[in-house]
Amino acid sequence: MSAEAGEHVIEIEGLLNLVGTQVLHRDLSLRVRRDEVLSLVGGSGSGKTQLLRVILGLKRPKAGVARVFGVSWDDRNAKKVRDARRRMGMLFQNGALYSALTVYDNVAFPLRERGGLAEEDIRAIVNTKLAQVELEPRHGKLLPANLSGGMVKRVSLARALALSPDLLILDEPTAGLDPDRALRFVQLIKRLRQDHRFAVLMVTHDLDTLHELTDRVAVLADQHIIACDTLAAVRGLEHQFVQNFFGGHRGRRALQHG
Amino acid sequence: MPATDAALQIETLAQDPVPVRARAIGQWTFNGLKARRDELAHNLAELARQPAERVAWDLTGVTELDDAGAVWLAHAMHGAQRVAVSARHRDILRQVSQGLLAPTEAGGRFDPLWAVVWLGQAAAEFAVHLRDAVALLGQLVRDGLGMLRRPRDFPRREFSAGIFRAGVTALPVTMLVGFLVGIVLTYLSALQLKRYGADLLVINIVGVGVVRELGPMLASIIAAGRSGSALTAQLGVMRVTEEVEALSVMGVSITARLVLPRVLALAIALPLVAFCTDIAALAGAMLVSQFTLGITPAAFLVALPKAVEVVNFWIGIGKSVAFGFAVAFVACHYGLRVLPNTDSLALGVTRSVVAAITCVIILDAVFAIMLRNVG
Repeated sequence: MSAEAGEHVIEIEGLLNLVGTQVLHRDLSLRVRRDEVLSLVGGSGSGKTQLLRVILGLKRPKAGVARVFGVSWDDRNAKKVRDARRRMGMLFQNGALYSALTVYDNVAFPLRERGGLAEEDIRAIVNTKLAQVELEPRHGKLLPANLSGGMVKRVSLARALALSPDLLILDEPTAGLDPDRALRFVQLIKRLRQDHRFAVLMVTHDLDTLHELTDRVAVLADQHIIACDTLAAVRGLEHQFVQNFFGGHRGRRALQHG
Repeated sequence: MPATDAALQIETLAQDPVPVRARAIGQWTFNGLKARRDELAHNLAELARQPAERVAWDLTGVTELDDAGAVWLAHAMHGAQRVAVSARHRDILRQVSQGLLAPTEAGGRFDPLWAVVWLGQAAAEFAVHLRDAVALLGQLVRDGLGMLRRPRDFPRREFSAGIFRAGVTALPVTMLVGFLVGIVLTYLSALQLKRYGADLLVINIVGVGVVRELGPMLASIIAAGRSGSALTAQLGVMRVTEEVEALSVMGVSITARLVLPRVLALAIALPLVAFCTDIAALAGAMLVSQFTLGITPAAFLVALPKAVEVVNFWIGIGKSVAFGFAVAFVACHYGLRVLPNTDSLALGVTRSVVAAITCVIILDAVFAIMLRNVG
């Protein structure tokens, strides 16, 4: 089954992951639709990051299938894999900007890597992307070391969006930002999605972000996805983690606001 | 209330079923324990030696109790049944007592076969290293060939930066070391050769030694320490900051983008550095020959090409290419294995330098055997 025509950008089935000899994920399945924002929540150590690494192709699962845009990262067809990679953008938790390159070069990097674009076109695209994340062209000359945490996230987002991806993966997008910045970052992603309906897979602990952005929530617990549904449906689940996560004081407050 | 230091009052009632009464008063805190530290330790040890049921504890006079005081008391009170303690101190005392009871991590019994286990683990680790290195080498060759088809994609900036860093900036230190080694080697050889009146042979010995062996060797050992460690640290930090992951996610080949330019840069820079080291070492040799053996520089230069066949020079240069490749390759291999923590980075850099130097010496031995009939 190909997701090219289908409605899922990420399909994971029967995933088995080990850390050393310990089972991290067992029989884990998850599907992300083409048009949605799906949030992945789970306790610390439940293996959210490792799951992301599998989806990104940085870690090979012990067993099971992980396909992005219908392509498995093991696919022998290098071109297919490369094309799938270019349709996806990733925002690492700490930005992972190339510290040797300026902001401009960081955002231009995927464009140059893709090839076939004149430097003038690249400049136009980079400036557009910087503007989209509320940065000015003059910021392009800065090096990542001179940026504030919020700016690093925004530059990283601009880089992730450089190739106009169909899937954006966010790892803790608002971690380390003050509440005001976090809210603005969330609104920024919301606005960007209005212009270009990319799918979003997001790992977050932040209930406000969750409530603002998410269409569906996937709960990772007991080594697999125990539920993947709308926020309201997931909240009602009889599970220790879910009850603590949403039912605690902070959870209730965030949900009331929304 | 003035702060009072911790104190212990001990009373003994011979007829009572519980004959020892211990009463702690004052501040049982880090600071409060300081003043009568030795006395308290002695008394508490004394009490701890008594059977637990013979001691009654009264801690109601304790004004302040922190972890330090609680640990001292809990040690001595181990198993005590009659304890009077104020409510506000009960929790900390209970927690600390439980903490003391928690089993300490067993060190494990001595395994007489530990050496075998260790050897096996080391061998397994080495096998993994070897496998990964072969995989990296294969990927490098593949990406290198791919680059030939798309030369525009070659990361030129990283390549030229690599040559500058590993080559140009390495010159002063390598040439200085070469110069000094040339002096020492010539001086020691001259002392021996003088005895036999074979003064002119010094040019053969030093010439061949430097050009064929020492020049490339010195250059690559210094390159392993300077450039190799820098490469490992650089790639290692890129691993720590997830820059390497970010590249992979974009579908950029790590080997083509990061490893290939660095390896090529050092493979090209090192022969040049080795050449300059040769010159510096021969200059040192020339200087010493003049003073100890009276061979003028002019005579030295005339005799040199006759004493040292030019093939030796090419062997030296060829070896430097291989050494440069090996040093950079080993450094990149270790750099990409760094895990996101500081310890791993430090360990990676150390191992990288050691492995690079070992590799160079092994390669040198291989070359020595292969080329034993040449030159």
